[in-house]
Amino acid sequence: MDPLSWTIWIALFLPLGAAVAIALFARANRAASAGLSIGAIVGAFILTAFYSVLKGLNKDGAVESGIDWLSINGSAPGDALNVGFGVLLDPLSLMMLLVVTGVGMLIHIYSRGYMKDDEGWSRYFACLSLFTFSMMGIVLATNFVQMFIFWELVGVSSYLLIGFWFGKPAAADAGKKAFLTNRIGDFGFLLGILLVWSAFGEVSFSVLADDLAHGGNKLEGMGKFGCVPLATLAGLLIFCGAVGKSAQFPLHVWLPDAMEGPTPVSALIHAATMVAAGVYMLCRTIFLFDDFALLFIAFVGGITSLMAALMAVQQDDIKRILAYSTLSQLGYMVMAVGLNGQGEGATAAMYHLTTHASFKALLFLGAGSVICATHHEQDIWRMGGLRDRMPTTYLTFCIGTLALMGLPPFSGFYSKDAILSSAAPWISEHGNILLFVIALAVAFLTAFYMTRLVYVAFRGSARTDHARHAKESPLVMVAPLVALAVPAFAAGWAGIDGVFGDHFGAHVHAHGLVAHFVGPIEHAPFVAAMGTALALLGWYLASLLYTDVESDPLPEKLGALGFVATLMRRRFFIDEIYNFVFVAIHDAVARVADWCDRWIVAGLLVRGAHGTTELVGRIVRMFQTGNLQTYAALSMFGAAIVAIVFLLG
Amino acid sequence: MNILTLIVAIPFLAAAGVALTPRREKDLAQTIALLASGATMLLAIALFACFDAGVPGFQSEAHFPFAQALGIWFHFGVDGVNVGLILMGAIVGFAATCVSLGEIKDRQKEFYILLLVMIGGILGSFASLDIFMFFFFHEFALVPTFIMIGVWGRGVDRNYATFKITVYLVVGSMISVFGLIALYLQAPEPRTFNMAELAEIFRDNPIAVDRQNLIFPLLMFGFGILVSLWPFHTWAPLGYGSAPTGTAMMHAGVIKKFGLYGLIRIALPMCPEGAQNWLHVLAFLCLGNILYCGFVAMRQRNLNLLIGNSSVAHMGFVFLGIASLTLIGVTGAVVIMVAHGLLAALTFALSGRLYNQAGTSDMDKMGGYLKQLPFIGTAMVMAMMAGCGLPGFANFVGEAMVFFGAWNAFPGVTVLAVWGALVIGGVYMLRAIRDILHGGENAAHKVELSDAADWRQRAPFALLLATLLLFGFAPRLLTNKIQPAAKAIVDAANGVSVRQVEVARLDGAEVAGTTLENVE
Repeated sequence: MDPLSWTIWIALFLPLGAAVAIALFARANRAASAGLSIGAIVGAFILTAFYSVLKGLNKDGAVESGIDWLSINGSAPGDALNVGFGVLLDPLSLMMLLVVTGVGMLIHIYSRGYMKDDEGWSRYFACLSLFTFSMMGIVLATNFVQMFIFWELVGVSSYLLIGFWFGKPAAADAGKKAFLTNRIGDFGFLLGILLVWSAFGEVSFSVLADDLAHGGNKLEGMGKFGCVPLATLAGLLIFCGAVGKSAQFPLHVWLPDAMEGPTPVSALIHAATMVAAGVYMLCRTIFLFDDFALLFIAFVGGITSLMAALMAVQQDDIKRILAYSTLSQLGYMVMAVGLNGQGEGATAAMYHLTTHASFKALLFLGAGSVICATHHEQDIWRMGGLRDRMPTTYLTFCIGTLALMGLPPFSGFYSKDAILSSAAPWISEHGNILLFVIALAVAFLTAFYMTRLVYVAFRGSARTDHARHAKESPLVMVAPLVALAVPAFAAGWAGIDGVFGDHFGAHVHAHGLVAHFVGPIEHAPFVAAMGTALALLGWYLASLLYTDVESDPLPEKLGALGFVATLMRRRFFIDEIYNFVFVAIHDAVARVADWCDRWIVAGLLVRGAHGTTELVGRIVRMFQTGNLQTYAALSMFGAAIVAIVFLLG
Repeated sequence: MNILTLIVAIPFLAAAGVALTPRREKDLAQTIALLASGATMLLAIALFACFDAGVPGFQSEAHFPFAQALGIWFHFGVDGVNVGLILMGAIVGFAATCVSLGEIKDRQKEFYILLLVMIGGILGSFASLDIFMFFFFHEFALVPTFIMIGVWGRGVDRNYATFKITVYLVVGSMISVFGLIALYLQAPEPRTFNMAELAEIFRDNPIAVDRQNLIFPLLMFGFGILVSLWPFHTWAPLGYGSAPTGTAMMHAGVIKKFGLYGLIRIALPMCPEGAQNWLHVLAFLCLGNILYCGFVAMRQRNLNLLIGNSSVAHMGFVFLGIASLTLIGVTGAVVIMVAHGLLAALTFALSGRLYNQAGTSDMDKMGGYLKQLPFIGTAMVMAMMAGCGLPGFANFVGEAMVFFGAWNAFPGVTVLAVWGALVIGGVYMLRAIRDILHGGENAAHKVELSDAADWRQRAPFALLLATLLLFGFAPRLLTNKIQPAAKAIVDAANGVSVRQVEVARLDGAEVAGTTLENVE
């Protein structure tokens, strides 16, 4: 085993150790709980960075180290299951690990300020560390089963953190909804894993990738189920897992509700890392998807990004706007994965994931700073004028916003451009302009709703007393904002796409800082210009509408199309539809089953058997009169029957 | 004296000891019961730790004559299949004793006698390699159940529950005893009850197929009723709902595994042809457990009925693993048996504690308990999560293995079983957490609850959780021990069909004809 990989093993188990230590020994000690949790993730980040610097982020240095976790070998063919537990260290996982621990570290520190008056302080940090452990496990997983294990653990830590304020019914319900919606996705994921395992007898990523890379088209060799090729089916089932975790349509409903959790949690789990796990998983297993599955993935991503961007336009809660924006950006990434081509799509998706993690975490933490300052006010219409009272928060929030809008030279511009330019070839190759148009429309809408948010919340005049008396947050919260603003601004020139491009074997055009800076303009000027122009248009239109307004003018402006605004505001009624389809139907079936259990199985059959036995008893008892004459008469009667049968027979 | 014999003997000796204590010395009865079950548990841990998976056959064997003329011996021994069950049974026995200390306030002496007989009986049954003693010990464990529900039970339904559980379990025992006797009579004279010898005899001279086809269903349904196989399950939730906590823990956790153990140990290797012909029936019935009882659990408003139904639903996964007849599936089934034993004991212990404090199991009258009960509430969240198959707990390992094992044999059933495990299980478990622990306090039903404050109260819960987590994180501790023994059983059960495949391959066109000949 490569001795250096020990550093990553230690990094992986540090947060688990912290979580256990807090739960067992430090429940009453606030300083120790926070110290353990923050110490663990800082340690994990330093170790990861240390490893990455020493080994370099290139594909040739990829290492896999692990142990047997479960190993069953039967006599019959196909009766073997070998599952390892290990760490897979290649550019993809290391880069992702740096994002998770780096962004996570800042959010841990920020939490010290945000949660300072909370009575559940230790529980909060224990859950946060548990989450970090689980998320690192997903990133480092060497095989499907290990990934599924951590996948579920991430789900449960998210459940615990969304429902952190469990005394509040809305928070408790949101946690439950998130967990169960994810479970529906995981149902497909597990079936996909079973399908892949039964076709190849393996669950290890590296073995499967080797297997599929050599020896003909093995995906087609999997056979068919009805008229559907099994390879497509397996791909779509595995994608189900990503649909749940990355909140893609139609399982996106849990993410906006998840905003009931503490804001740092929303930043860490529901913006930067966990929801990106679906995209990461797709990129990790990209070799398994055939053309049809990829096409399907691209469209699901496209639909999600457009729909969520439309919904974001009419939300009033600052965290919900960001949540819909997250949905939309995740859809963008998933679409990019589907447009994979020669690895360009996966590269673009991971690139956008990386930059998005920094600027979306920044935006959420900025929102948290605002929420703290205005005494837990989340409605942007009850804010206003915060620009002057919270200058640092405002400045960093603007950097995040510009990055999200994708304007040059902010990081989001470069990664968004990578996605747009992987959608562009589709027009010529497939004659399909739809996805490119969706991508551009989302760019426009993103600029529109983010401008709305900034103009309404930060500019104009204060609309409530809380907003009027808001103060800048303390250093422990502002410092992480500044630290995140740096990558949100500059991550586009750092050559991150080169790392992923190397991993996926995609051709990346630029080398060196200056070349990266101007890369998109050189390489595909038309695409870059279109994206930027639409973002600017969105900014301009929103600034016309939302400068110094007291309430939202959009529904009026739309006039006869006002119902569109209602649709957006009510999220296209998807929650209501689900409530009917899933909840009502499951409950109806359960009611029928319960009724059967009470009245048929328990009632008729059991009480019936009981009753029959009793009836027989009663009948037989009628003959047991104790009267000698009756017995004599009955025996005579019996003897007579026997005699008749004999004589006639 | 051999360690296994001690494990079985200590509870019985202690029961006799408690019987001799004067009635007014209540503490003495408790102390003896606690010490005896604790010693049994420590010995079982030692037995498990010293078990060497590399040695073929049985370990820690011991023989004592019982009725030699009939070929009946006290014959104890462990292999991979029962060593984990004995460990689980002993741990649950200790936990059940700990929990009963706080709960049972009257006729303590009688209660502990029965509890110890129950513990010794079921451990004896798992340890016995003699079919007669295997059954005989089980009855020792079973009969106290009825008495305990009738005397120390709770709720208005307890007489009906006692009646129902008695009828069902006696019928189940009767059917399985017919099957066992029929099996015994198939061996040539001089007859034996020795499981290993019988397995060898039947391997070399298989029982005629038409007889196997009769014997196997007797065992399958007889044992099945004892394990609450759908549709013979309705005794279970009601019975557990009315039982005192310790009894519910022992029965749902440990005694119920007797039927499953019998299926794996006796029915599969001795009636392989019968198994091939009947197991697909079992595979479909198990959906009744997983889906139907899962749906029923979703509707329950009474916590005890909810976990009773969920416990019935979990048995479906074990049945599916057995029906798959693959090493992965059967090993997974044994893992679930161990894991579910610990989990069922844990959930019944928690719900019993809540009932004793809140005076009700009605979830509509609960709410927001987590604030008052940080320890018990956390343990409950963990138990519910384990119950819906969260990785990290041993239940996940077993269920996942069953799905892998059953996938090739019964893909359709497996798809539905996965839905049952991930979604339906998740729904009722999370609803329970939401209704009991989360949310605001229930204003109409305010109760004063006390958390498990000191280590003595926490011990049983911590012990069960720790074991679940241990096997969940390091499943090889369990699977490596189970695997060799399970492999022998699965190979014996598949032996005929493997030969069939070979013959069929040789003879090409005449597949059907040769298969029949070979079977005859």
